[in-house]
Amino acid sequence: MIQLFHVSKAYPGDPPVLQDINLNVEKGEFVFLTGPSGAGKTTLLKLIFCAESATRGQILVGGRNVARIRASSIPYLRRNIGVVFQDFKLLEHRTVADNVAFALDVLGVPRAEGQDRVRRMLKLVGLEHKAKSLPLKLSGGEQQRVVIARALVNDPTILLADEPTGNLDPARTLEIMDLLCEVNVRGTTVMVATHDSTVLSRYPKRTIRLEAGHVVLDEDGMQVARRMAAAP
Amino acid sequence: MSVSAKVSYFFRSAFQGMRHAPFVHFVAIVTLAVALFVVGLARGGSTLVEQLLKSLEGEVQMTLYLKAGAAPVDIQAAVAEVTREAGVLPRVVTPEEALARLAGELGEAGNVLRGVSDNPLPVTLELPIPREQRGLEALRGLSTRLGAVPSVTAVDYGEEAVERLSGIARVLKLLGGLALGVVFIATLVIVSATLQLAIYARREEVEIQKLVGATDRFVKAPFLIEGCIQGLLGALCALGGLWAFFFWTQPHLASVFSFLRLAHAGGSPLNGLLVVELLALGAALGLGGSFLAVGRFLKV
Repeated sequence: MIQLFHVSKAYPGDPPVLQDINLNVEKGEFVFLTGPSGAGKTTLLKLIFCAESATRGQILVGGRNVARIRASSIPYLRRNIGVVFQDFKLLEHRTVADNVAFALDVLGVPRAEGQDRVRRMLKLVGLEHKAKSLPLKLSGGEQQRVVIARALVNDPTILLADEPTGNLDPARTLEIMDLLCEVNVRGTTVMVATHDSTVLSRYPKRTIRLEAGHVVLDEDGMQVARRMAAAP
Repeated sequence: MSVSAKVSYFFRSAFQGMRHAPFVHFVAIVTLAVALFVVGLARGGSTLVEQLLKSLEGEVQMTLYLKAGAAPVDIQAAVAEVTREAGVLPRVVTPEEALARLAGELGEAGNVLRGVSDNPLPVTLELPIPREQRGLEALRGLSTRLGAVPSVTAVDYGEEAVERLSGIARVLKLLGGLALGVVFIATLVIVSATLQLAIYARREEVEIQKLVGATDRFVKAPFLIEGCIQGLLGALCALGGLWAFFFWTQPHLASVFSFLRLAHAGGSPLNGLLVVELLALGAALGLGGSFLAVGRFLKV
């Protein structure tokens, strides 16, 4: 589903953010991308949804070579990728339902059909009763669930989440992670960037560790579980 | 994907945008309205003068004054010559008829003419001008030729009034053209600047649209529609202002220039063509301004 071949990213005048990254994420997989701040996690996610372009290497997303994609084709690629941000990026003056429907407007989904899909998505994230609320009236966890609903309402094949629990307390963090796992169980490939060790230890999923722009560890779920069990 | 759903979204988004930044849009609409009012005023004024000229042309008659004491044979010769030159038979006005006409026009003051023992007025020939000869140049040529007819001492066709009005019409057309150019550029700049503010106010929305897969055209379309709506609203305001202006000023102009029969010169200068022109110009200016704004400011 996502393949990276010798991918590097550098900004002029700065040391490389990513260096010679090789990755293969299968369809339906759940992957944690971890590492200290500045390791290149966010940049890697940005390369996948074309917010940045790689300096070197090839990136295949759903079989399409992102490195060679035309600018006019990027929007169509993004419609298959849901993105969740730490800072939510919700429109404050629009209701929860309108924020989720925003992604459907882009696709030209008729309003009646869109309302039905929004309702189902809000039910999935447990916010059906808050459809008419404004985002600022919601807790951080609820706001993040709205973002997840917006990211999923188009039925994307990939969900990228950049520090989705970064602003949340432990209870809300578990809520969101459970939700992301549920989304993954439904067949969506999920890639979560986080440096929260509690999350990593609680959810034994494939974990890729980045340090100074290099992949220093790539363990599958079993290896992670074993390592956790062996840890004191 | 539904085209109607997208179009519906574009208009909803455009109206929402206008609701969320009312002051910015108000400034743009007022700017457009003032600009279009000026253009409309120049166009309307020019139309008014053209109508006056046409009404004058309808009245055009050349008066040829014959020498005092012209003999009947001289008068007949002059009539024959004038008919040959102009292709129209002139009407002979005797000094007595001319005096009676003058007395009638003077009203009560005409009584003073009763005391005049010798009629000082000459025989005159009144020549209705055929439509094809009513142009200013044609009138000048005919006047010169008829002035050379023996016994004719003077020719009058209201030359000064016609020339002055033609001059005013030319100046108004020129001013209208200049005003259109200046207003066009200034309005484009102002509308573009106000829309840049509107786009800036909605930058988060644009960012999210891009993240969820909106194409460039999808992001830009509501802003272009906003510009177009602004232009149309500005044009409607300008048309309202022009209607009020002509409604209040036309009766005054009619009384001031009653000798030119303004009241019969035609309808209001705010005609259907001008309405369509201003609406189209407003929409084009709004659209052009927003096009500049999205091109310069909305790098998507």
